[in-house]
Amino acid sequence: MRAENETCVQKVRFSFVLFGKGGRKERESPWQRLSRNKGVSPEVLRASKDFLTWRLERIAAMMELLLAAHGDWGLASRSDQVVMETETLDFNQALQILRQHGFRDDEFVLTVEYSRKWGVL
Amino acid sequence: MSNISTVKTTPTLGGGSGLFKKEDYWAVWIGLGTVIVAIILWAAGSKVMPSLAISFPAWDNFAKVSAYLGAHLSGIIGLWFCFLVVFSVAVKILGHDLKAFVPGFTILFILGVLVSILGASTTAKKWSLEAPLMALLVGLIIGNFVPIPKWLDTAFRTEFYVKTGIVLMGATLPFTLILQSGPMAFLQATIVAVSTFLTIYWAGTRLFGLDKRFSTALAAGGSICGVSAAIAIGGSVKAEKNHVSVAISLVVVWAVIMVFLLPILIKVLHIAPGPGGAWIGTSEFADAAGIAAAASINEQAIKTFTLMKVVGRDMFVGIWCFIMAMISVTKWEKRDDGTKPSGKEIWIRFPKFVLGFFGASIIVTLLLASVDAPTAKSVSASIIAPISMIRLWAFIFTFLCIGLTTRFKDLASVGWRPFAAFTTGVLVNVPLGYILSVIVLGGYWAMVK
Repeated sequence: MRAENETCVQKVRFSFVLFGKGGRKERESPWQRLSRNKGVSPEVLRASKDFLTWRLERIAAMMELLLAAHGDWGLASRSDQVVMETETLDFNQALQILRQHGFRDDEFVLTVEYSRKWGVL
Repeated sequence: MSNISTVKTTPTLGGGSGLFKKEDYWAVWIGLGTVIVAIILWAAGSKVMPSLAISFPAWDNFAKVSAYLGAHLSGIIGLWFCFLVVFSVAVKILGHDLKAFVPGFTILFILGVLVSILGASTTAKKWSLEAPLMALLVGLIIGNFVPIPKWLDTAFRTEFYVKTGIVLMGATLPFTLILQSGPMAFLQATIVAVSTFLTIYWAGTRLFGLDKRFSTALAAGGSICGVSAAIAIGGSVKAEKNHVSVAISLVVVWAVIMVFLLPILIKVLHIAPGPGGAWIGTSEFADAAGIAAAASINEQAIKTFTLMKVVGRDMFVGIWCFIMAMISVTKWEKRDDGTKPSGKEIWIRFPKFVLGFFGASIIVTLLLASVDAPTAKSVSASIIAPISMIRLWAFIFTFLCIGLTTRFKDLASVGWRPFAAFTTGVLVNVPLGYILSVIVLGGYWAMVK
């Protein structure tokens, strides 16, 4: 038995939701107001455009940071989110990178999954 | 889902695509498939299934074994071939190397035949080293002292074999028995699991100064369902990787100790097989290890063990995960964003092989209920008895694999504080399991046959 032995595999998944609040303080984002049919107007559309531009830029910045820090990521896009996944970077390191660059925990959804390493009872 | 760039594809959890991509589901397909094929062959008047029911007779003179081998050689080869084909299909679709699996499984099967023969000797029986413990012991000795080529690892699939065996186990347990004994098993298992969980958590955080998440992973491993619980709840509460590794190592070490210790205690204390199996189901830490311990007693012990462990404990790991994830997010992290756990987690974590266990039980129970008494006797002889033997072989592969894959040098070293916290839980779990299984409900479990 050795301290450095590992008996599990850690899978880290960052989900960046495109149309949520995106970490903003207000109760709902302009996009959420628009998609819930709470009054549509040119101003709301422009606010939604600004929100989406801001949000996508934030997501792209977070992705760049994570990709720069680590080369082994699985990337995928879904209709409402972008997903990054790895089994080779500890989630604490990834969190630290994002926090150090001013990103808050509510700008992404972090999921940690463990599976047993081969041969473990 | 459209990929914008793919280093590797993000796997989806649950859903239809998982039906052929997960070991749990393959255990269900193989187990239920065996039951259905057995019924079809029986209906067609075939004797194929009984010919596959290979069980070596007790012997003190090897001539008896030679005679049995001579008379049943085609059955042994047929059994090997059937296992090889169905496991190979599963292993291939699960993405493993078939070229390594086929020779590897053949070696495992030959080892299985050898330990079955050795375990049937009167000398082995005298020393209580029947096939299950013999397989475990032989596996542990080979796994820890003999260099094993890496390619053989493909065939050592402990979890896969035990889950397949448990699904087949369903065919030998009437569903009415599961319905009758399930709530009792759940009640007993929950009392012990909650007490042990709280003890390890309390000892870890208060006595030994461990982190809350670390203590939670240790507590889950020691109380709910072993390694499966440690990794599921470790992920739910975002425990550190090295902490989960330590929890797993402690589960493995204590599971191997209990495989030998519990059957010895049951024999020394003259505990009947029914309560003995229930005690193992309550106090053993891993399914595969628990089956090995129960199988070293008798068939009734395997039944009460399965009711307690599978129906009473394993099924509820998802609910534990949901509760612990909720506590972690709302109390420990104090986050108010979109990461709250959803109820879907209960289904995602549900051990799907349990569905196969129920399915196999329902199919055979309905079949028995729909035929007259003489036909029911024929069903027992041509369907249930051979499935019971095939299940035993799946368990023999499991026991060998436990030994062959439990390489103590590969485990993470644990330090005295996690060891002490986990052991505090063992000191609650084992006596409490004894009190409930033997003293309080001993009469009930003795009647479960």
